[in-house]
Amino acid sequence: MRTAHELTVENDGIADTLTLTRGVSRAEVIREICVHLEPYQTGEKPIAGDTVIAKDLTIDSLAIMDMVMELEDRFDVSIPMSVVAEIHTVDQLADTIRDLRAQS
Amino acid sequence: MNPLPTRNSQLVLRRAGFGSVPEMLDYAAQGETGVTFYSVRGEILSASSWREIRDRAHVTARRLIGAGFARGERILITADTWPGFFDAFFGAQYAGLLPVPVSVPVGIGGKDAYLDQLRRQLAASGAVAAVGIEDLAGFLADASAEFPAVRLHGGMSVIDALPEKPVDLRPLGPSDLCYIQFSSGSTRHPHGVQITQAALMANLGGITGPAGLGVVPGDRAVSWLPLYHDMGLIGFLMAPLSTQISLDYLTPRDFARRPMQWLNLISRNRGTIAYSPSFGYDLATRRAASQVPADLDLSSWRHAGIGGDMIRPDVLDRFAEAFDKNGFNRKAFIPSYGMAEVCLAITFSPHGAGVRTDTMATDDGRRTRRFVLCGKVLPGHRLEVRDEAGKVLGDREVGRIFVAGPSIMPGYFGEPEASQEVLLDGWLDTGDLGYTLAGEVVVTGRAKDLIIVNGRNIWPQDIEWAIETRRVVKNGDSVAFSVDGGDGEGGGERVVVAVLARVSGEEGRKTLASDVAQAVREAIAVDCDVVLVPPTMGLPTTSSGKLSRARAKANYLAGLYAPSTGADKTAAA
Repeated sequence: MRTAHELTVENDGIADTLTLTRGVSRAEVIREICVHLEPYQTGEKPIAGDTVIAKDLTIDSLAIMDMVMELEDRFDVSIPMSVVAEIHTVDQLADTIRDLRAQS
Repeated sequence: MNPLPTRNSQLVLRRAGFGSVPEMLDYAAQGETGVTFYSVRGEILSASSWREIRDRAHVTARRLIGAGFARGERILITADTWPGFFDAFFGAQYAGLLPVPVSVPVGIGGKDAYLDQLRRQLAASGAVAAVGIEDLAGFLADASAEFPAVRLHGGMSVIDALPEKPVDLRPLGPSDLCYIQFSSGSTRHPHGVQITQAALMANLGGITGPAGLGVVPGDRAVSWLPLYHDMGLIGFLMAPLSTQISLDYLTPRDFARRPMQWLNLISRNRGTIAYSPSFGYDLATRRAASQVPADLDLSSWRHAGIGGDMIRPDVLDRFAEAFDKNGFNRKAFIPSYGMAEVCLAITFSPHGAGVRTDTMATDDGRRTRRFVLCGKVLPGHRLEVRDEAGKVLGDREVGRIFVAGPSIMPGYFGEPEASQEVLLDGWLDTGDLGYTLAGEVVVTGRAKDLIIVNGRNIWPQDIEWAIETRRVVKNGDSVAFSVDGGDGEGGGERVVVAVLARVSGEEGRKTLASDVAQAVREAIAVDCDVVLVPPTMGLPTTSSGKLSRARAKANYLAGLYAPSTGADKTAAA
């Protein structure tokens, strides 16, 4: 018979595994965002965390919507419209997706 | 879960002719039909019969009355496509309150612009409550903070938390207002159209009657149109309700994401009536072309309506070609014309005629363009095209379109001056330009500077204001207008912003252009081409010293303004 202590340890292990499959690294999210944004890069300055999506790139608003939808599908999250309305930079978008994945 | 039935088993279909919204909901509640909400994946999220909608509205009404809201007070509601909107809207109808449906935020980075819009709408409507989806509770709280009159704000849970008291309902009646529609005027000075119960009932009679859609038993409506727009709220909530038919919804966001779902719903549920502005047909054709299911069957779709923007015959041709193999009947197209000031509709093309066009020279006289015939004015209404002096013009003479009849609004809410500007001797100045042809109307453009992109009304002053308030350029240094994108892909209206370039160097010019584009994207969620005008040239003004958008546009079309380089899309010639 297992002790309560052992059970707890085992449950923690399961919880960790779940977090790992569900969790996603920041770099991975940023990489995926950059794949979408690269066609719209302009000039010498590379796309970075502080890139302001609606300003520093030539992407139009319909393409931004498309990208957000594809990222939602890719990472299986749904970004509430109130949160979308507060996102300006690549970093903010990446953190939002990561946080939503961790919560779900 | 199953979608609601298309036909009522006992209840006789009545085409409008009711006295008020509560009266028509009471009648529809005797049947089994109702509203089904679908997800982006085509799954049923929820389904409510008109009876259930009525019952929930009664509960909401008793909560609102019990909380002390007085008859005639206004309640702002974010009109997302979700069952809560029905609870709030119809609850208000039975409580004697006037709903003020407003839009939801669009795009990234749009928070500040959205809060500004909410504040202006709260001020213009004098609302005492502001409710919406739970996600927007924080925005509603922020916007309401400056308005002590707003006694209740938040998600629908704030209404659900009110005690349901044993009070009598006080439904709005035939001589009352029905709601306030913000779809006219700029965001900066929004005008709320007063929709009266009587005008709405008159317009519904026209829409659902033989000169309109001629709704019959077996009809079923399918819609993705936003409920804060007259075509969504009246065309695809009030009209189906006034004829007791069933209705299937997809949200506007989900339509933008998966346009095929709109057509799938029509196919699966044997939908017969669905509308869209031209851009929706365009989106469906371009995005859906590669993912059309083999069994998609659009043969049940008998009224494919078009309204809400300039109707683009080329787009409709392509749609009809793309879906011909799926049973789409191009004769099902019904070009229609209307505006919020007449509730919704004023003309419909005849059934079975499809898209008919007439060819005229464009505004600049350099090309010809096909314009769509939009049909005859609804029975009981009149339509005239007049010249600047007020003389009624003959066939193919372009002038301003005026309409009269029982669907016309009494005026803008609390705006007697703005009302007087457009209402004269029972006639409404639509602000649209067009001509008549054998009793039918042809719309060619607008006398006002209004810009319409993807069905959204955008006022150029809002664009200029967004640029100025972000201190990108100073007041009077920017002017916005739209140009005809022409037929073909990427057609429709294109927004152009001309700004005085008080900067030097290529880098400075690039930064200015991208700052302008960002300000417009974030505040208005629309893309624009930026052209930089040297300060030595200046922006054109009228004789009274006001910026002239019409002359700036003429200069642009004449090639006087060079497109900005680098960071921004260059303006196509």
